Amino acid sequence: MSAPAHPDSTDLDRLHSAVKREKADLPPESQPAPLWAVFLLMLVAIIAGGQLGPMAGGWSFDVSNPFSVVSSGGGDPRPGAGDAGAALDPFALAMKKGASGYAVCGGCHQGNGGGIPGQFPPLAGSEWVNGGTERLVRVVQHGLVGAITVKGQGYNTPGGMQAFGAAMSSQDLANVLTYIRNNWGNEGTMVTKEMVQKIRDEEKRATQWTEAELKPFADKNVPGEITAGPGATAAAAPAK
Amino acid sequence: MQTTPASSDTELQADNLRRAAIDKSVKGPVLFLFTNGAFWLMLSTILGVLAAIKLVEPEFLGNAPFISYGRLQPAHINALVYGWGVQAALGVMLWIMARRSGQELKHGKSLLITAGVFWNITITVGILAILMGKSTSIEWLEMPKFVWPVLLACFLCYAWPIARMFGRAFRPEGFMVSTWYILGACFWFPWIFITANVALHCLPGLGALGAGIDAWYIHGVILLFFVPVGIGAAYYFIPKITGQPIASAQLASAGFWTLAILGGWTGMQKYMGGPLPAWMTAVGAATGVLLLIPVGLVGLNHHLTTLGKHSAVASSPTLRFIFFGALFYPVSGFVLALNSAFWTGSALQFTQSWYSFQVVSVYGFFSMCVFGAIYYIVPRLSGCEWLSVRLIRNHFWFSVYGIGTIVVMSLVAGWQQGADLNNPEHWDQNFMNHVVNSRAYVVSRAVAWALISFSNLMFLLHLLLMVAGLGRRSSAPTLLHREHDEHALPAHA
Repeated sequence: MSAPAHPDSTDLDRLHSAVKREKADLPPESQPAPLWAVFLLMLVAIIAGGQLGPMAGGWSFDVSNPFSVVSSGGGDPRPGAGDAGAALDPFALAMKKGASGYAVCGGCHQGNGGGIPGQFPPLAGSEWVNGGTERLVRVVQHGLVGAITVKGQGYNTPGGMQAFGAAMSSQDLANVLTYIRNNWGNEGTMVTKEMVQKIRDEEKRATQWTEAELKPFADKNVPGEITAGPGATAAAAPAK
Repeated sequence: MQTTPASSDTELQADNLRRAAIDKSVKGPVLFLFTNGAFWLMLSTILGVLAAIKLVEPEFLGNAPFISYGRLQPAHINALVYGWGVQAALGVMLWIMARRSGQELKHGKSLLITAGVFWNITITVGILAILMGKSTSIEWLEMPKFVWPVLLACFLCYAWPIARMFGRAFRPEGFMVSTWYILGACFWFPWIFITANVALHCLPGLGALGAGIDAWYIHGVILLFFVPVGIGAAYYFIPKITGQPIASAQLASAGFWTLAILGGWTGMQKYMGGPLPAWMTAVGAATGVLLLIPVGLVGLNHHLTTLGKHSAVASSPTLRFIFFGALFYPVSGFVLALNSAFWTGSALQFTQSWYSFQVVSVYGFFSMCVFGAIYYIVPRLSGCEWLSVRLIRNHFWFSVYGIGTIVVMSLVAGWQQGADLNNPEHWDQNFMNHVVNSRAYVVSRAVAWALISFSNLMFLLHLLLMVAGLGRRSSAPTLLHREHDEHALPAHA
């Protein structure tokens, strides 16, 4: 078929060729849907419904944060959500970071700080934790071995507690100590990075402490500015 | 070549003439919409490149406020949505509905053209106003207040004849499969558009709820306008070209009604944890995940239909665009579910991944389907065949690579931004660090929009040549797997 010279040609065969080569509109069939697809879609519905319940906040017009009404959950469980503004306060920041750092300690001392009777001493309500910061920093920095007494109970774990100082920065160590001193009902002054650094500079021992060796430090606090939190001595400076 | 084996030659001839007459009756308005839409698409993609460059290099092209990021980005999205998206959708809707219903467009052709002209003038004024700094700052509704009644009236000028054609149609079994979506889009867009504009422009003192309504509007336009038009086109053209009937009428019905029921409930999860009543964001989030159901039903139906027929994708330009567009539908549903779900949404909230959803649904899914439809419709209206296989191929591949890059990069960027912001270790960091960290992704976005601009330049030129009647004079379709072969199988295209 030769091409006509003019676009307004009346070569109907060619002009209608696109229409002529079309296939007819076909009615749809009724093939069955595979069963796995049905289950997959049910799974979607379950996931969607599962998140609807906890997030709806009781279907009230007055609730915009559904997690504030769940008192036991301790606020918004999403990673990093919640009172992010508090991060500017050094004490709150140390508590947040300390909470994640505590994962290392929780293996023995347990998530509730209660320890395991006869094996690992508790941190909650412990005079070692709530007492002088000087002894507490030294225990974690260099480790502790031998028989000790905590809250009237005797403990003598083989190998004792290892030294964590070498593996952690002084800031991380300070965060964890602040956290355990202000959790599970404990309340104490915060331990700062400078305090930990001071102990590190003063004491270079390579062996673990014993209870008797630590006796002199039992009620001593490491000197230094307490930047925020309970017993703060200085105005809160922005966290580093 | 043959329609039904039973029909005689005369009947076949009559049927061909009838379809040719229908095509001729909608030719003017449809080609007008496609051509103007293609111009807006060209502009929108260029603005997209500039906006992305401005985000990385604010000094680029000088400091004039006229071309600052804050004005370029809304201009880019508004040109994409109203300039290209709605216009091209109306063209496809009008043609498919005319064909499906077997009705010629009898009256009001001049009214349609007039409405089209007004639509384009209004958008031009609106986008210029954005660039002059008169934006309303409401996402996707940045054009000044006065444009929306005009746009609504123009839209209704098109929706009315489409709905009338449906009303007059003889409806054989299976008639609804693609028609549902086209008819739904006619009614849903005015509903969403009126609700959002009245609420945001006429009701005083909305406060934070206004932001929620705006997010609902964006998702409504995508899920109840762009998505139905895209699926309607896919449901019409896939059986038309492969010659394979849609696999399951039941799945098609379920897919439509679940979308119709769920589509209007989502959007507000954008402000999860924000100052909106929690149940509003919770419902939006749950619906965002539930929308995987209509997405899955349609995807499954297309999969069952095209199983073993994928070879036609290599040759037919229409099927290739529609097929890849239909692949992007599950992708867009998945991105929406990621943005909405509680576990991932907390990291993706307010990040680039929301841009990823807008782009994948408006460009990756909707526009690819509409390109496919245009490659099918235009030869029937202009009376000549597409000129160049190479132009079509380049249009396809540059679009696919560009859109893939934007979607993947925006998702990864969103995840990184969100995870960094939520990480307690970063809470005392300067926010600027996060902005600097996302630079590389924005550079890739600029490159991707540049690829897409290039592909659209070819599309625009090709379309203009076709509309001018300068296409190939041949009775054989332009197929992709051989160049200008006069003996090509007439089965496809």
